[in-house]
Amino acid sequence: MNLRILRTAFGTATRRALREPGSFFVATGFYVAVVAMVGTLWRVAAASHHGTLAGYTAVGLFWYIAASESATMAISLRLVEEIGDDIVSGAIAVEMLRPVSVVAVRIAAEFGRAVPKLISCILAGTAVSLVVVGPPRNVGAALLSAISLVLAILCNIAAQHAFAGIAFWIRDARSTWFLYQKFVFVLGGMLLPIQILPTALEQIARALPFTAMAYAPARLAAGFFEPELLLVQSAWLVVLIGVAAATFQAGERRLQVVGG
Amino acid sequence: MTIEVSELSKAFVTGRKARRKTVDAVRDISFSVAAGERVAFIGPNGAGKSTSIKMLTGILHPSAGTISVLGLVPWQQRRQLAMRIGTLFGQRSQLWFELTPRQSFRMLGAIFGLSDQHLVRRVDELGELLDAGHLWDTPVRSQSLGQRMRCELAACMLHEPEILFLDEPTIGLDLLGKQLFRDLIVRLNQQRNTTIFLTSHDVADIESVAERVIVINHGEVIYDDSVEAMRRSLFATKYVDVGLAHPAEAPSLVGVTIAQHSPTMLRLVVDTEAQSIGTVVNAVLSSLPVADLSIADPPLESVIASIYSTARTP
Repeated sequence: MNLRILRTAFGTATRRALREPGSFFVATGFYVAVVAMVGTLWRVAAASHHGTLAGYTAVGLFWYIAASESATMAISLRLVEEIGDDIVSGAIAVEMLRPVSVVAVRIAAEFGRAVPKLISCILAGTAVSLVVVGPPRNVGAALLSAISLVLAILCNIAAQHAFAGIAFWIRDARSTWFLYQKFVFVLGGMLLPIQILPTALEQIARALPFTAMAYAPARLAAGFFEPELLLVQSAWLVVLIGVAAATFQAGERRLQVVGG
Repeated sequence: MTIEVSELSKAFVTGRKARRKTVDAVRDISFSVAAGERVAFIGPNGAGKSTSIKMLTGILHPSAGTISVLGLVPWQQRRQLAMRIGTLFGQRSQLWFELTPRQSFRMLGAIFGLSDQHLVRRVDELGELLDAGHLWDTPVRSQSLGQRMRCELAACMLHEPEILFLDEPTIGLDLLGKQLFRDLIVRLNQQRNTTIFLTSHDVADIESVAERVIVINHGEVIYDDSVEAMRRSLFATKYVDVGLAHPAEAPSLVGVTIAQHSPTMLRLVVDTEAQSIGTVVNAVLSSLPVADLSIADPPLESVIASIYSTARTP
């Protein structure tokens, strides 16, 4: 697999995303509303606990939500389902007729599709956070958060491919999407910092890859300068791409496409 | 041989646990195709055509049997094979709807390892060959189905494949669009010696494009010969159409059945092995008030339908 293919898949998908300005603006508007709402809820919660909650300040929590929502809303919310439908309907057969790895091209393309949304979420999230709570507590950590967001999105896309690949066997990805979404929301730290979870659940969350998809960039944006989070994300990215590739490779052998 | 298929079978498992059953989509089929041939692979719905094409292109793994396409085993060497074949599924697009064909070609060019200069030259060539250069910069979603199919054909021809697998390529096209598309396929075959392997339910596709017909039904090959031979061997039948000056009784002859009889028209179906056409014509001319008379072969469609129904009868 050469880089030119991945670069072209990325660029083509970005162009496709930019051809849909309507949905792009709606998604950004939705993101702003969610950040303002959930961020305010956490600010109020922190205020009622003498200004901090599990080590997070009210300002930090607002930035946390801005980053965690960027990480999850920049990619298609129902990607697992979309991939699963392509497998079950046989649409994936067209991609299998190309002399390249289906999963590698798909990940590059999904990343290309996510980048314009990610940029708009970062810009909108920064603007809303600055207006509502002011600048982040640690600018260096916030800058690292931008890199972490890219890794978070790649991890999420790879994991969704691994999850959706189950459709090769069970011919239905909808149930896996529901499960996956809940894992990212709670164990991934999208809705709340994992330190707020009961200790046992926090330990489980730390052992799973979902924290690489929301918690890591959000923790950095909240002002905790922990560059090691990028290493953890990178390691999970390698693992998740490997699992997705292995799932597809095994699944392609089991593909059942009947009819034209 | 470009394609060699031997005792190929594919069974799908459906249902779960107690209700699990095996459906034989393809059963023990064998055939071969030479380079540059134009072959129609036809059969009724559910006959196993698309399943066979998917095995030939490496998408599906067979349950039994062997396939060699351009010397490669499709399901084991799918990516190498993809470099040398082109595939067009009439019901599935390989172009990106939001983009122009030229932008999609850039993506496909990268996938097939074409250099930028080679890609530009190839896109220009195909624009000329398919008379479609003016479509390259119009977003696919703004194109008519006929225009889109020409772009689809260009997309699968980009890497100069040695074989084109076309699965229902004219589905949904209007009459003119279908004719144009058929002409393009034949021209590609004649100018580039590209092997054409076509499935279609449209008899006109078979008549216009194919030199040879393989008929599959219930997963088995039930006929394999040239289109001309299909016409000849299965045409022990002739239609004699008689225009009547005024209403009259039809003559009764051995080997002749009346297919249609109105006050002004009579159609006789003649089994030429039981009765000569000359005898029938003489009888008609001597006993009926003939205003007009013509002798015709049955349409290919009837022949194919008769092959399908023959195979259905145990």
